[in-house]
Amino acid sequence: MEWQWDVLPQFAFNGLREGAVFAAVALALVLIFKATTLINFATGELAMLGAFLMYILNVEQGMWLWLSIVLAMLISAGIGAAVERALVRPFDPDDHLPVVLITLGLFLIVNAVAGDIWDYQLRPVNEPFGTFPSWAPSSQELKEVADGSISCVKVSSGNFVEATAGAADATTCELAGRTYWTILNANVDYRTLGTWVTLAVALAALFMVLGRTKAGLAFRAVSSSAESARLVGVNTGRTLGFGWALASVFGTLGAALVAPSLNGVNPNMMQFILIYALAGAALGGLDSLGGAIIGGIVVGLIKGVVVSWFFVQVMGWAFFSILQLATAFMLILVVLLFRPSGLFGTRRIERV
Amino acid sequence: MIDDDWPTPMPRRGDVDRSGDYAVFAASPAPQTPGGAHQASATGSQMLEAPRRTRRGTSPLGWVGAGLLAVWLVAMPLTSTATQLAQNTQAMVMVLAVLGVNLATGYGGMISLGHGVFVAVGSFATAYAAADMGLPWAVSILAGAVLAGTLGAVVGLPALRIKGIYLALVTLGLAIVFQPLSKRFTAFTGGVSGRTVDAEMIAPTWFGTSRWSEGLYRYLICVAVVVMALWLVQQLVDSRPGRAMRAVRDDDTAAAVYGVNLTTNRLATFAASAALAGLAGALQVVLVPFASQESFPPQESLVLYATAVLGGLGSIWGSVLGVAIREAAAAAGSGLASIDGLGAISELFDLFDDERLLFGAALIVLTFVFPRGLASAIVGRARRRDA
Repeated sequence: MEWQWDVLPQFAFNGLREGAVFAAVALALVLIFKATTLINFATGELAMLGAFLMYILNVEQGMWLWLSIVLAMLISAGIGAAVERALVRPFDPDDHLPVVLITLGLFLIVNAVAGDIWDYQLRPVNEPFGTFPSWAPSSQELKEVADGSISCVKVSSGNFVEATAGAADATTCELAGRTYWTILNANVDYRTLGTWVTLAVALAALFMVLGRTKAGLAFRAVSSSAESARLVGVNTGRTLGFGWALASVFGTLGAALVAPSLNGVNPNMMQFILIYALAGAALGGLDSLGGAIIGGIVVGLIKGVVVSWFFVQVMGWAFFSILQLATAFMLILVVLLFRPSGLFGTRRIERV
Repeated sequence: MIDDDWPTPMPRRGDVDRSGDYAVFAASPAPQTPGGAHQASATGSQMLEAPRRTRRGTSPLGWVGAGLLAVWLVAMPLTSTATQLAQNTQAMVMVLAVLGVNLATGYGGMISLGHGVFVAVGSFATAYAAADMGLPWAVSILAGAVLAGTLGAVVGLPALRIKGIYLALVTLGLAIVFQPLSKRFTAFTGGVSGRTVDAEMIAPTWFGTSRWSEGLYRYLICVAVVVMALWLVQQLVDSRPGRAMRAVRDDDTAAAVYGVNLTTNRLATFAASAALAGLAGALQVVLVPFASQESFPPQESLVLYATAVLGGLGSIWGSVLGVAIREAAAAAGSGLASIDGLGAISELFDLFDDERLLFGAALIVLTFVFPRGLASAIVGRARRRDA
């Protein structure tokens, strides 16, 4: 056993980047659970649909990447609200079984339709955070290229993605500027920084909406007590639709941010991420928004630091590299068994 | 517990007591959610008594269904080629997996979205036992079922504390985690591309030596196993443990007060339901000597659950009906997809050549129309939902 402290920051940064994505998807789960005590099993598939919208707008139609992400988020919001209105609202919110069936049906339909339209091959997407701008100092990058330890290739649409050394078009990397910052001897990818910044902006926007707008107030009222909210004149149905729309926005954001790391979009892309996000949401407490964010990031750190660094690198248990998903699953199990309310959730007292 | 919580109806003279024959096309209430904790306590209190069987009613529609089933059982092998026979038999043995889901969810009240995992374990274990260890088929099939059942008991452990939608979450997680994990254990599963099984169930020579008669032999064995399993489950749910199972589903506190051991009951229910799914997997290997993780994506587990729900939870014939619907829908879907020459409409129809899409759609539509399963709607004798 050898403590490899020098590589720890790298694993931690990777974990934090993935954690940010898990947090976004966990937030999508919690936004719906908080209002309805319902787990939307189709969260991952709806997010996948959002990522495909981004793919269509950006890669197929050539729209500016960020505009296509924002548009995909807005369209997903519409889809989320429509799903709530058409498929969820007709059912008694206290009877979970029908709505569980509906979300499972959605899971199957969305997955099958996406598989029919786009088949199950990975479709490469463009990197939203390709490079530092050209004015950023790039000496580090050039040195690395000279070493042959990293290179970049140009993809058809004009963005740059990281590639292994010796790739055919390695020289374009010099033009691209560097793609990472060196902190604590670790390469913090522009992608990592960009994911954090994007999530932070989105969270700030979410809390502004929830805290400062009338719709946000209504949402908080309904999630604290639907009956009382209805009594004072809040339109609960419309508010829950609003919650579904917000959830779809965050799911799509998470899917769009993670797609480059997965090397593209694919109908099954969100299934594993759904598990990590469920673990994050369960850990944070299924009805706590802040808990979902912290839970998602902690799950990312557990995946990056505990499993990939400690178990695999330090302890040398190579088999743990295939057990990352299983670790997340065990986390869900342990949390639900021993602390069903998670770290920050509301404790439920069951009366008999 | 105050008296108001126990709205036990006094049986009136002339009432037909049906507390014992849940199974015959009478769909029971679906698993309880915390919202309606005591709505079915009336049945809960009756269930521990021995059932007073008076008359087991089967409606005319039930007889029609039974007749159709009998006709299919005879006509299907006679009109099929060897390949079709194997495929149809494979579809038939899925009744066992659906029955497994039904036992856990419909009778035990534990939502399981991960029964595809148990089918897979049954398949791989039987393949390993029959091909790699060279055990006789009967032993290999049993090994598949037993191993799946054991795993079911382990998976059932969390179900002791985790309930309702949370258990759904955990079992769905199991279904999603299983596939990438199974790719790694190549010795058992053949890795990504799956494994062939170097063992074949050979029919005795007097049975004929053509591929078709070999298929017929396997078909008859599968029919025998399925019928036996259906009969056993019927006996189980009508027995004292079966009534205890339903009592736990309806109100576990009340059941515990009546002396039901919740731990044993839940674990045994889950193990039995997993063993049924494992048996289905084992028979799949008998029919087609190939097992691959590709057959068990999480969607397959969801389709199993959907089949059980569509057929009707808490009804044994519901599981049979569910599989019949599944096959009919798949056939109708591929029929629609084969219609060409209508332009965009044909392309739309092509979408239906996908069982998962059909099932997702059917799940949503039928949840709207018959929230308590198709069996109850067909027979029109749904038990009251709210006491």
